[in-house]
Amino acid sequence: MGRPLIIVAAMLFILGAIASLMGMAYFGAAVLPSAGRLVQIVILMLVFVMVIASLLTIAERKWSAMMQDRIGPNRARIDLPILRDSALGGVPHLAADAVKMLFKEDFVPRRANGFLFNLAPILAFGPVFALFAIIPVGPSIRVLDREVPMVIATPDFGVLFLFAIASLAVYGTSLAGWSSNNKLALLGGVRASSQMISYEVALGLALVGMMIAFSTVQLPELTDGQARHLWQFSQRFDLGLPAWGIVLQPVGFVLFFTAAFAETKRTPFDLPEGDSEIIGYFVEYSGMKFGMFMISEFVEVVVLAAVSTTIFFGGYHLPFGEGWLARRGLIADHPWILGVILSTVFWIKVIVLCWLQLAVRWTFPRFRYDQVQALGWKMLLPLGLANVFISGALVLWDPSLRALAVVGLIEIGIVAALTVRGEGHPAKIDSAAGPPPSLPALTGASTSGHD
Amino acid sequence: MAYDASRNPSQDVRERIYLPELLRGLAVTTRHFLRNLFGQRDSNASVLNRKGRSLVTTVQYPEERVAYPPGYRGLHRLVPREDGKPRCVACYMCATVCPAQCIYIEAGEYDPADPSPESRVIEKFPTTFVIDELRCIVCGLCVEACPKDAIRMDTATHAPSEYTRQGFVYDIPKLLNGPPVSHSSDPWRRRESSEPPEHQVLEPHTRIGET
Repeated sequence: MGRPLIIVAAMLFILGAIASLMGMAYFGAAVLPSAGRLVQIVILMLVFVMVIASLLTIAERKWSAMMQDRIGPNRARIDLPILRDSALGGVPHLAADAVKMLFKEDFVPRRANGFLFNLAPILAFGPVFALFAIIPVGPSIRVLDREVPMVIATPDFGVLFLFAIASLAVYGTSLAGWSSNNKLALLGGVRASSQMISYEVALGLALVGMMIAFSTVQLPELTDGQARHLWQFSQRFDLGLPAWGIVLQPVGFVLFFTAAFAETKRTPFDLPEGDSEIIGYFVEYSGMKFGMFMISEFVEVVVLAAVSTTIFFGGYHLPFGEGWLARRGLIADHPWILGVILSTVFWIKVIVLCWLQLAVRWTFPRFRYDQVQALGWKMLLPLGLANVFISGALVLWDPSLRALAVVGLIEIGIVAALTVRGEGHPAKIDSAAGPPPSLPALTGASTSGHD
Repeated sequence: MAYDASRNPSQDVRERIYLPELLRGLAVTTRHFLRNLFGQRDSNASVLNRKGRSLVTTVQYPEERVAYPPGYRGLHRLVPREDGKPRCVACYMCATVCPAQCIYIEAGEYDPADPSPESRVIEKFPTTFVIDELRCIVCGLCVEACPKDAIRMDTATHAPSEYTRQGFVYDIPKLLNGPPVSHSSDPWRRRESSEPPEHQVLEPHTRIGET
């Protein structure tokens, strides 16, 4: 059987699993009105976030292998008649890893502060996990004559919850560094806390543009604001340019993604831990406590993808054709089908963004520490401030957001043009001096600069 | 997409903005990812000859093995004659030349009254021929020293693992394998008359698996 066929079949299986789970979430919340929130907590956070995060541990190994032309883990097998001959995409390694983590020695260094040492993984894991509570996963629709919102909590302060809870995660890392009674771990914890605190400013500023554009801090309203079209091309099929955050605020998206990346402490910004060479804040942790740090990193990846999806990629909304879909006979009679479709779309976007983060991790080299701080304070912060002012002015000038979208499209176009433009671009180089401009041209340019 | 060293990064607008170059890097990663995700991996053990979209060059070792190059000095074998007995005449040349002294031979003598034809032309044969494969340094001198082409290292395998040291001491039943080899100069095939031989002379450098 062809490999593309197997992959497409696996993707369809995953889509089916997501759709059926979301259907269970909608109907469970409708059938049990008193425990509806509990059903959503269990299905959205425990099932979806935890399963995606734990599958990301194996996906990271497998995807990074594919990006680096390797095969990746495929040795763990399930010893059952049919499954024995298949590596199952390396997924059995997940169970092997979990068993290994659980049965390793739970080591506490001598003279370490035992209470804080045990508290740190919990503090690193809890806030990250709680962040997902405000993410709207699907539309609020009527199921079995009951209005079912597919979001765990809608506090009035909306996005501010995100900032508040995200900044709590720094306690986990700095406590882990401090309580280990290890100088290197302490230094790692200091690096982690200073990096996370610096990037929180940029993280907050990056989202202000979207708050201005839709004049709300509530994530469900931000999502629904992105459902409309800035320019409608076809009324019948509901085609048009959606008012997604990536169109309105491309700079905001880049800033947010970068800052949130620094918050997750993953590779371009992995100075606090450094998987391979720098000794990080969790040197002294072993077994499942280390596993907590690791899984919290992956939960952060999922939550970051979910927040980016919600704020910049239209949340659970389709870019076009949603109105057309909602008017179909079957879906108009049973609106829960639309809810399942849209929430599946949400999870697809989340998974794609998770993949993007992993691709970023395996593409970019790590920044030096001064570069991290310079990027945070000298680049992201001024850019964020400028973005806020420009976005505010544009929204005041044209409340229909079209001016904002035009500016955003121009920004996207400039970056795309610079990216796609071919190699033949020697205009700015001092290469006219020598016919084959190799290294001499480079040195000549730099020395003339010194003159 | 090779990097052009003649460009000065500090003067290139794309490098200064940094984002376009990051996106190009992502494009490279993505291309590799998609090719390896959807491309069927060719399991040809000679990696350079692999076909298909997949760029993976891994050889999954126990299942796929890179063949040893020609001329590889593998595990010894005692070359059999057509009748299945070893060609060895117990001359002790290999045991003498062996720098690791890993070959031990005990010679037996053909009874002149023996009715078999070779008893008239061959004096000795090995009753014991033992190679300690743990001692062997795989230099191949025994093969070169042998005047009768009786010991070869053309098996293209290495010594398999064993649980005991004694398991690595190979005796005649373990060593005697592979295709038989005959030379027209073999004394036991010396003809009395000028008639052509009744059996076909095999190519002298037959390897295992080629016949």
